[in-house]
Amino acid sequence: MTTIRSFMTDDHRRCDDLFAEAEQAVAKKDFELAQAAFGHFRSAMLAHFAGEENTLFPTFEARTGMSMGPTQVMRMEHVQLRSLMDDGMAALQAGNADDYLGLADTLVIMMQQHNMKEENILYPMCDQHLSDELPAVLERLESELSEE
Amino acid sequence: MQALLAFENAPPFTAPLRFFLTAPLFGVLAGLLVAFEGADLFASRWSPGALAATHLITVGFMLQIMLGALIQILPVVAGANLKRPLLVARLVHVGLSTGALLLAVGFLFELPAFLGGAAALLGVTVLFFLAATAAALAGVPSTSPTIRGIKLALVGLFCVVGLGIAMALALAGAWSLSLPELADLHAGWGLGGWAAVLLAALAYVVVPMFQLTPAYPARSSWWFPVAMLLMLAVWSVALLFEQSVPARLAQFGAALLGIAFAMQTMRLQAKRRRARPDATYRYWQFGLIASVLALVMLSVVAWWPEAGELPGWSLLFGILLVAGGFLPFMTGMLYKIVPFLSWMHLQNYGQARIPAPAMNKILAEPGMWRQMLAYFLALALLLAAVFFPARLACPAGLVFAVANGWLGWNLLGAIKRYRSHFADITLKLATS
Repeated sequence: MTTIRSFMTDDHRRCDDLFAEAEQAVAKKDFELAQAAFGHFRSAMLAHFAGEENTLFPTFEARTGMSMGPTQVMRMEHVQLRSLMDDGMAALQAGNADDYLGLADTLVIMMQQHNMKEENILYPMCDQHLSDELPAVLERLESELSEE
Repeated sequence: MQALLAFENAPPFTAPLRFFLTAPLFGVLAGLLVAFEGADLFASRWSPGALAATHLITVGFMLQIMLGALIQILPVVAGANLKRPLLVARLVHVGLSTGALLLAVGFLFELPAFLGGAAALLGVTVLFFLAATAAALAGVPSTSPTIRGIKLALVGLFCVVGLGIAMALALAGAWSLSLPELADLHAGWGLGGWAAVLLAALAYVVVPMFQLTPAYPARSSWWFPVAMLLMLAVWSVALLFEQSVPARLAQFGAALLGIAFAMQTMRLQAKRRRARPDATYRYWQFGLIASVLALVMLSVVAWWPEAGELPGWSLLFGILLVAGGFLPFMTGMLYKIVPFLSWMHLQNYGQARIPAPAMNKILAEPGMWRQMLAYFLALALLLAAVFFPARLACPAGLVFAVANGWLGWNLLGAIKRYRSHFADITLKLATS
């Protein structure tokens, strides 16, 4: 059965794949390809954030009344991730591999520990609290994630 | 649940940091001890110097980093928030560091009172830590192999410390025990039941995280910690009833489990999608190879116990597993964790208005690579010193001390840059 946890986790893995493509391109010093790949990665991430911030988090907050809890922390981490991605894009546009790789290292860990908290803690909480409206929430998320 | 994932519950940076910065000092002490004692230390694994150096490393370095890291990561990986993390960190850090020093002095100068004092202090400290983590973990369901692995590793920690206390009391003359067999079991619980299970539980998270490898297969990551503890339980019961065959089979089982975990990690790392090998990755590769060699030696002894009596065998095994395996894993992780935490705390402090410097600006790659080469040289010398102690013990100890001092220097440099950025952000926040 598809759950919020499995669906959103799969999307995290898809973003990881896109990130890896960008890094491979940087390693080959192909900055044009790297910019394109990083651009795909960033749009996928932004679509994922949008799905969470516009659909998943508000639904969870409305149901549980927890508006200053985990979802708030996740929103703050989204802000940090957005800014890291902007810096990464700028480094690629400037052709600065060293800056990019340093940012990429930071971005990877930030992104992975963020994903881990969502996958292990927040998504299971969502599945638990939103069990009766699961199909509707999943459908909305699905359409939002495809709008990159 | 309300406070779950809130930053306010993330421990302050100084909570884990004190452990990470103290550990290299114990590495330096151990190296100096090896250099100072020279060939005497290499006479046998039971020599006062060898026992003292071993515990400077296992308690002063390894346990230090493991407890510090747990204080940091329990909220992140398990959503388990320690109550008053800074207070827990302070007490555990002081108890552990003092206990490790007392223990080393007790072994080196053969002072039963110091051994007894060390056992009491370390016992109380670890029990306090276990109580604090148990309270945080109570009610946290084991929804991931990592959470379950951490819980099981804590059982291993309880057993290794319990056995250590029993032996210290026996050495202090309180009661008589068959010490060599018990010491092997103590090492088994410490390195297998505690350190290896905790390492695996964390590897399930950090190997895919740092290297973008595929995830560990769910089934083996679920079973490894249980199977390892089961082997140690069999070994313990066999020892209690003085049955040497099941005890050896359990040792063999534990060795095979360790080899399987290491090989699986190598296979995953071969599929990693990060473009460049960094110092952490090299440290891990090195640690995996050294661990497999050590565990092959352990498997041989399980079938052919006389091998253990060969000159230098047990020293070689211990150096390969601890200095060759565990220390590289931990150093490799410190090189990611310290710059990342620096970045994260700066980022939070700057309230996303003032950008934090990227990780490689806090701890630069070249410094890590050079330290790593120094460490590998130290390890090669230590292994060679088993065969040529008169000539090589002293240089091996000195290079080991230098490599650990260098690790401390690198970490301190990162913290210095962290502090200067922190001051910078304070200024910018005040003027913006």
